[in-house]
Amino acid sequence: MSDQPETDLPDRAVGGFRLRAAHLGLLLVWIVAAAPVVLWFVQTRDPELAVRLAATGWQWLGRVGLAAAVLGIAALLYPPFPAWLRLSAHRTRLSLTNDRGALQRALGELRHFESGPRHLEVGRLALAHGDRDAARRHLQRAVELDPGLAGAHHQLGRLLFLDGTFTKALDAFTRAESVDPGHAFGDALLHGGRCLHLTGDTTRAADVLRLHAQRHGGGRRSAFWLGEALAANGDAMAAREAFRAAAAPPPARQRLTAEENWFRARARVRLWGRGGSA
Amino acid sequence: MKSAAEQFDEIPVTLLVALAYVTLAFVTDPFEPTGEALAAHGWLTPFLAANGEPWRLLTCAFLHGGILHLVFNLATLLAIGPALERSLGSLRFLLLYVVSALGGSIGVCLLYGIGNPVVGGSGALFGMMGALVAMNMRSGRHLLAFLDFDGPRRLFASIAGNLVIGWVLPFVSNTAHIGGLLAGFLVTFLWLDPGRADRRQLRRWRLAFTAMFASLLFASIVPATRYDWLWNQGVFVADPSRRERLQRAAAMSCYGLHEATAADVARFHAQFLEPLLRSRDAPGTGR
Repeated sequence: MSDQPETDLPDRAVGGFRLRAAHLGLLLVWIVAAAPVVLWFVQTRDPELAVRLAATGWQWLGRVGLAAAVLGIAALLYPPFPAWLRLSAHRTRLSLTNDRGALQRALGELRHFESGPRHLEVGRLALAHGDRDAARRHLQRAVELDPGLAGAHHQLGRLLFLDGTFTKALDAFTRAESVDPGHAFGDALLHGGRCLHLTGDTTRAADVLRLHAQRHGGGRRSAFWLGEALAANGDAMAAREAFRAAAAPPPARQRLTAEENWFRARARVRLWGRGGSA
Repeated sequence: MKSAAEQFDEIPVTLLVALAYVTLAFVTDPFEPTGEALAAHGWLTPFLAANGEPWRLLTCAFLHGGILHLVFNLATLLAIGPALERSLGSLRFLLLYVVSALGGSIGVCLLYGIGNPVVGGSGALFGMMGALVAMNMRSGRHLLAFLDFDGPRRLFASIAGNLVIGWVLPFVSNTAHIGGLLAGFLVTFLWLDPGRADRRQLRRWRLAFTAMFASLLFASIVPATRYDWLWNQGVFVADPSRRERLQRAAAMSCYGLHEATAADVARFHAQFLEPLLRSRDAPGTGR
């Protein structure tokens, strides 16, 4: 098994990202709310301790701020970190621009008449909003009602991939690809290849990812995942070539998307150890 | 038969606030109000708010430090207030005004020098601008949809411009402006106009921010580790050992010491506290 899945799925549901950021934000708000009350309580028992605690708290806040600033400057020199910053900003913008009206309209249409495509639409939108339970129910119902709906298998596969159940996700992507070869511009094939790697079948993973590159032109994510599969297979030369493809500078006057930039940065780091240049 | 809320909605709160501005200005002299007059009618200093006069957190939002201050704030109030009051309703507009004014005052009490006086309604006015931002965010297809339009972008520019003016001019408290802006934005975003936000998430955030607001208000009135409050507590305590500990804690807080001796306590009393207790006539500071 490979590393955590969510770091390998840059286009994961932005709602999940928003949820974690929201939890952290809530925690910080509660800490700020608790501090004055705690200090008052301590002061009633030991005023000198309360003053020391407050002073220490401010000192540590200053130190943490300074350390964060120094680390931030140092981290900007490490390619994946600015790429991660850009990707996080992109996800934040996506989460703030998520139109809930579309989900509500889709639910209204579903209530009016139940069908596979309508369940698919609700499931897709629920997944985009980070509501995995609702997405799971609707996508499974879509697949039950219409087994020939490639999109439902594909979205279900993405959900299962996010959950970390790669074997089931592989089944879903395989069904999507068999119903509609090249579905979603090869995304089902690409993720199927990645699932093969994450379930330990790195040889087949490399074959599937090469096939994806041949049929759909690859891309930086495809090249990076191919490089990882080949490296896991022990084929260092081929892996280096794949990482070089992923890490290649963008053509003149073309700006990479946040996801492409993220994989390029990671590929550059992988090449450092292999003496390659990007 | 109209409900109490419907009856309240007929009261023109903006007009009443404007009348309060003008009335208090004439009571304290609209052109050159003295420090004594403003102090007597409710200017805010962190010291007074924490030492028996918490009502100043609100009253300072109705006083002004001169004719220019009054005219500028009146113009802003009358430009934004009526439309906002019509959108929200009088009761909710009043709540917005009060929370924003308190937000500005909390900022002053927590971050300002304890003897520096502050007057003016611009904390609440910034809160009203924050409310407009929040309403714009809630009204679109998504939270950033309002940035596609010229009017809301100009609102941002106006807020930024006013904050820059606040930094440039020496007698303006940007702390109060930012405190009011944040309070007004949050109360509108979470309570007054929550839009289509997920109700479960909204409840969590409402609870968290209510707790934080209440706690910071408490910290403004009861700053448990600030030297003036600690010293004042010591004055009223019968137990001599507790009094001594409070006085040492006050000296520690004032000078940033880890331990305080009797000499530190005496120095604190002579150097700092006596002048503060004597001084009621510091120059007015607008906001």
